[in-house]
Amino acid sequence: MRSHVTSWGAVTGGAFRANAGRLALSVAAIALGVALGYAVQLINQAAVNELSAGLATVAGDADLEIRGPRAGFDEQLFVQLAGESEVALASPVVEVDAKLARESGELRILGIDVFRAGPIQPGLIGEGEDGLDTLRPDTIFLSTSAAEALRVRRGDTVDVLVGLSPVELRVAGVLSAQATGRLAVMDIAAAQDRFGRTGRLTRIDLRLRPGADADALKQRLRATLPPGVAVEKPQASLRAATSLSRAYRVNLNVLALVALFTGGLLVFSTQALAIVRRRTQLALLRVLGMTRRDLARKLVAEGAIVGAAGAALGLAAGYALAAVAVRFFGSDLGAGYFRGVEPRLGVEPWAAFLFFALGVGAAVLGSLAPALEAARAQPGSALKAGDEQRALERLRTPWPGIALWLAGLGASFLPPVRGLPVFGYVAIACLLVGTIMLMPRVAHALLRAAPRPRAVPGALALDQLRGAPGQASVSLAAVVASVSLMVSMAIMVASFRQSVDDWLDRVLPADLYVRASMSTDTAYLSPADLDRLAAVPGVRRIEPLRAQQILLDPDRASVALLAKPVDATDPTKQLPIVGTFVVPGSDDPPPAWVTEPMADIYGFTPGSRIELPIAGRRVPFLVAGVWRDYARQQGAVMIGRDTLVSLTGDANANAVAFWLAPDATLDAVSRALVAAIPGGGHLEVATPGEIRDVSLTVFDRTFAVTYALEAAAVLIGLFGLSSSFGALVLARRREFGVLRHLGMTRRQVGAMLAAEGFAVSAVGLAVGLAIGWLISLILIYVVNRQSFHWGMELHVPWIGLGILGAALLALATLTALVSGRRAMSVDVVRAVKDDW
Amino acid sequence: MLSLRDVTKAYAGPRTRTVLSGIRLELARGDYIAVMGESGVGKSTLLNLVAGLDRPDAGEILVDGVDVTRLDDDALTVLRRARMGFVFQAFHVLPYLAVGQNVALPLALLGVPGRDADARVAEMLAAVGLADRGASMPRELSGGELQRVAIARALVHRPAVVLADEPTGNLDPESAAQILALLRERIKASDATAILVTHSHAAAGTADRILTLTRSGLRDGAHA
Amino acid sequence: MKRRAFLAAPLALLAPELRAEPVAYPLVEPRALAFPRDHGSHPEYRTEWWYLTGWVRDAAGNDFGVQVTFFRNRPGLAESSASAFAPRQLLFAHAAVADPRHQRLRHDQRARRAGFGLVTASEATTDVRVDDWSLRLDGEVYRADVTGRDFALKLAFKPTQPILLQGDRGYSRKGPDRAQASFYYTRPHLAVTGTLDVDGTARSVTGSAWLDHEWSSEVLSRDAQGWDWVGLNLADGGALMAFRIRGKSGETVWAGGTLRDAAGSVRTFPPDDIEFAPTRRWRSSRTGVEYPTAFRLRAGALSLSIEPLMDDQELDSRASVGTVYWEGAVRAIADGREMGRGYLELTGYWRPLKL
Repeated sequence: MRSHVTSWGAVTGGAFRANAGRLALSVAAIALGVALGYAVQLINQAAVNELSAGLATVAGDADLEIRGPRAGFDEQLFVQLAGESEVALASPVVEVDAKLARESGELRILGIDVFRAGPIQPGLIGEGEDGLDTLRPDTIFLSTSAAEALRVRRGDTVDVLVGLSPVELRVAGVLSAQATGRLAVMDIAAAQDRFGRTGRLTRIDLRLRPGADADALKQRLRATLPPGVAVEKPQASLRAATSLSRAYRVNLNVLALVALFTGGLLVFSTQALAIVRRRTQLALLRVLGMTRRDLARKLVAEGAIVGAAGAALGLAAGYALAAVAVRFFGSDLGAGYFRGVEPRLGVEPWAAFLFFALGVGAAVLGSLAPALEAARAQPGSALKAGDEQRALERLRTPWPGIALWLAGLGASFLPPVRGLPVFGYVAIACLLVGTIMLMPRVAHALLRAAPRPRAVPGALALDQLRGAPGQASVSLAAVVASVSLMVSMAIMVASFRQSVDDWLDRVLPADLYVRASMSTDTAYLSPADLDRLAAVPGVRRIEPLRAQQILLDPDRASVALLAKPVDATDPTKQLPIVGTFVVPGSDDPPPAWVTEPMADIYGFTPGSRIELPIAGRRVPFLVAGVWRDYARQQGAVMIGRDTLVSLTGDANANAVAFWLAPDATLDAVSRALVAAIPGGGHLEVATPGEIRDVSLTVFDRTFAVTYALEAAAVLIGLFGLSSSFGALVLARRREFGVLRHLGMTRRQVGAMLAAEGFAVSAVGLAVGLAIGWLISLILIYVVNRQSFHWGMELHVPWIGLGILGAALLALATLTALVSGRRAMSVDVVRAVKDDW
Repeated sequence: MLSLRDVTKAYAGPRTRTVLSGIRLELARGDYIAVMGESGVGKSTLLNLVAGLDRPDAGEILVDGVDVTRLDDDALTVLRRARMGFVFQAFHVLPYLAVGQNVALPLALLGVPGRDADARVAEMLAAVGLADRGASMPRELSGGELQRVAIARALVHRPAVVLADEPTGNLDPESAAQILALLRERIKASDATAILVTHSHAAAGTADRILTLTRSGLRDGAHA
Repeated sequence: MKRRAFLAAPLALLAPELRAEPVAYPLVEPRALAFPRDHGSHPEYRTEWWYLTGWVRDAAGNDFGVQVTFFRNRPGLAESSASAFAPRQLLFAHAAVADPRHQRLRHDQRARRAGFGLVTASEATTDVRVDDWSLRLDGEVYRADVTGRDFALKLAFKPTQPILLQGDRGYSRKGPDRAQASFYYTRPHLAVTGTLDVDGTARSVTGSAWLDHEWSSEVLSRDAQGWDWVGLNLADGGALMAFRIRGKSGETVWAGGTLRDAAGSVRTFPPDDIEFAPTRRWRSSRTGVEYPTAFRLRAGALSLSIEPLMDDQELDSRASVGTVYWEGAVRAIADGREMGRGYLELTGYWRPLKL
């Protein structure tokens, strides 16, 4: 047994040494896949951990938490809850996202009752120079990361914008490290006073008496709480907080796994060809007494070694990558999901193990098919020279591939699973794998159809490919996979971008936009401000927009409640309505126009009647239409400005759109607007063009990661091509020797290889384009829709794809040529004598 | 037709191994010789040098009056393409080309127009007894048949020099005899100068003349 | 005066803060106290406390020391705030049970801002609530209801003697400066009945207690390090209160005391008539702080030996209120006979009480 093992070690070692270059590529490909996957996982986990730590700071170790809309709920609820017999302690909180006055950005400020928060949320209790700092109306405590971000220390001041006036707050101290996330704490009374929240709270955290049943109390409270106010255990709010980014995180993970998938394909190509090259050697081992099972197992073990090496490297590289990415792009990788979250990478053993296993698994799966094939071979015939080709010539039955295809098409029609497009991914995987399985036949058919070139190298290249379609397919697997994924992503992103572009056209009809702040609770334009702005010379008409947030479902993120003047008889003028709209009749409740996510998630369809929790009441609305909104993934409801004002008395505005008189100039009006109101200098004034540019920049930044992951997939595809070509050339060096004898020049042999590379790549590209197009449909209509609930129109970037295809073709041809060159540098002449 | 003048070849290594030393050989058009010798004595090297696939350390090799040692790789390749034909022990019929395509390969490389080439290929296949197998794939053929294809391919473009390296090494004695007879017949039919390298006395016996390669040079006659 | 270390540090609320909004606190000037109004809260003054201390005994004859305090503070903040959470009035409650068998204090506390009817101090009579903790004057009887982490008490305190006005008709000097004074009256010899729960079972107890109610705006002089205070229900029906304020080097900065004898005649001691002479020191193994837990107390002609119920009645409240002090049940002994029972408070032995 010992000698057996040793001899196998020698065989494997020899094979590894002989194959060092391609082996390195395989290891690199697995490493790249694992690195990307692990990095994405680390970053996502860091962001979520940080987010949950931040939420945990706020929630402390409350048993239940009461959450309301951002506008808050009546503080009498606190009195009611504090009086409940099961409640040991109730900690009231006023939470605002305050707009910073001196710099751009915002700061989450928690107004707490230090006495009641102390036992529940100790992380929020600051230590001032004296105890009263926690109670003073002008003091604030910052978390470490907030202090770092704002570059302030104890004694400095922070200005936040309330309305349009700055309010100066003295930094009385920095919270302990327990308080994670970018937040600030001040006295609850001060917060109510300063931010116009008198009588309002946004959350109450409850500590129950020992022995009290949290679930029972939750059920009981649920029935009595005002509309729009939710009671949950803290874990649930974490779920809600992370739900918004979940689809994004999962999609990113899947995208990263694609790189690993193509890495596995690369291992497949390399192993397949390496095993073919060693076919006689392996046959000899079989003759010498190694069983089929031993052989297969040992060949798979070789794959596992490659996988383990790659995975180990990948984990290290992934950590480094994540560290760099987080440092330079933040934990959302530029997508904007985790604002105010300061992630720290933490190594969790299970994640490292998972990605290690995935890396090894990909490599093992990649080497499984060739290993089984090698084990299945009849040792007798395999021992004969020339049998190498035969192994790759066979065309297998097409049925499994076709079955996978059909399964994929079927899966694309299935609904999401817990908000995730699981079947969309399944469909894509099925189509890809099915295509790869069908590749020999597809390649065969395509190559048959190709015209035979006149020049000998080209003709020979085509003959060779036609003669051994299996061999071409091995190279093709990685190419087809990476090209189709890249093409599908390119089409999806282009469609998305074009749709965003079109959408921006429709949502930016005015001449000028002025904004106090869309995302914060504190900065706004008062009705007096609006009057003054409307009176500025050159202003023909203004359209104020108010943004609030309401909670429709405690398990989900808050939904934006927007209000502006909308013409109910034709809302298309003010909203990018998708599909039909309903004009409310005289006995209908007031109209509300909802965004696509709302229609998807909450089933708000045009004509249906809904109730929205506004100002602590359940207010009936008629869904009068669905509009497209790429700005708020959590969903938004637009109601008439008059409706909101009459319901809440809130006549402020977050932003205003301006239509100018024909003779007015943008510049002059902009300046006049800023000068017209106190604090006007804090307004952001922008033209539609500027907003469009910023939006598209944000869009591109969001997709920068996807581009990077795509590029990695393509890179691995090219690795695969290069690797398999190198292996093929080595395997065919006798043939080249013969051709050299027969009078083919080196250049002609090179040309032949380039032609083969070209033909293989062309086939790969053609199939990749076709499958990519199909997958893009799944991405657009299934994955994206189910993940983000965004509708978009298909837009194929023909020119870009053309350029991409040409570049890829050139690159692939070059890759084939270079790897052929390298292989040709060995003495092919002697190879004709080299009968194993 | 073919002259080797004081050809010397050594392989560099830990200990330089001189394979050929001062080889002289003059062959006229139509000469068909067999070269015998022990393994490792340099028979194949001799063929490679003649074919221009390897370069001598010293001496001249003239093919049709052209010193092949002075040609660059491309010129050598063109020379090989036009003036030489090869028969290998392992046949080396390209598996992905049909029999006819294999035979047509040298003509294609020489740019012989399709119709002429087709006629020549048909003629050659008939000559080697495979008239009806032109469309067959190599895997459908036996070893003897494959070597017939190789012979057809080696001679289809009427080379001036034919080089055969153990052409029957992979064949049974009966097939071997047939192939050797066929080879001789085709060589003579095209009036080519041919060198047959072999271990087999029987094979060598089919040549016009037998030379034996030893450490000290080429000598007439067969030594066991 | 009183004291009350834990009140001092929580958030150092007693401190006259420079940054606090300028608030005009009323000065303490001699005036006639009027009841029941003056049993109630005086929110305009800076600080106020109702301080119950006493000895109780259960059916099995076990003695316990009990202390229940409600404290009000007006920090001078948010006086003009529109918020119902405005921290204009802060209420603190503190309770401790000394159990000799346990050899340590059980104690717990509450700190809240007044408001919403959850945390209130009535101005009509004694009625202070801090969430579920309360002390109120129900007719003639004080009722305290406190549930702590590891104890609970529900006690009624029935006065058996008239109100004892400290100092000049309730105007009690605290230092050389006349502004350093408080309104201060005492209810000694309160008859205690009720339940005490220290180990999971409620036990009926009876005993005798002492209530101080004190309010003021001005605090101690700046050179005070801390104070020693004792209040004793004397066995013969008399009541003795004595205190001294220590300077940085342990010297007595100010002192005072009142003795009402069994017949009801009251004698107020000038500073020179009060003397605290430590007779035994005890060092806490937890904090390393050394306290004089036994004294020879001289009040005029009266000389008493003060001995603690147990040595370890230290309150380590650094985690919550930020200070460490000693507050415990004591016996007064003369000639080997127990002359009375009461409470002793020792502050400023850990660090200078930061006022």
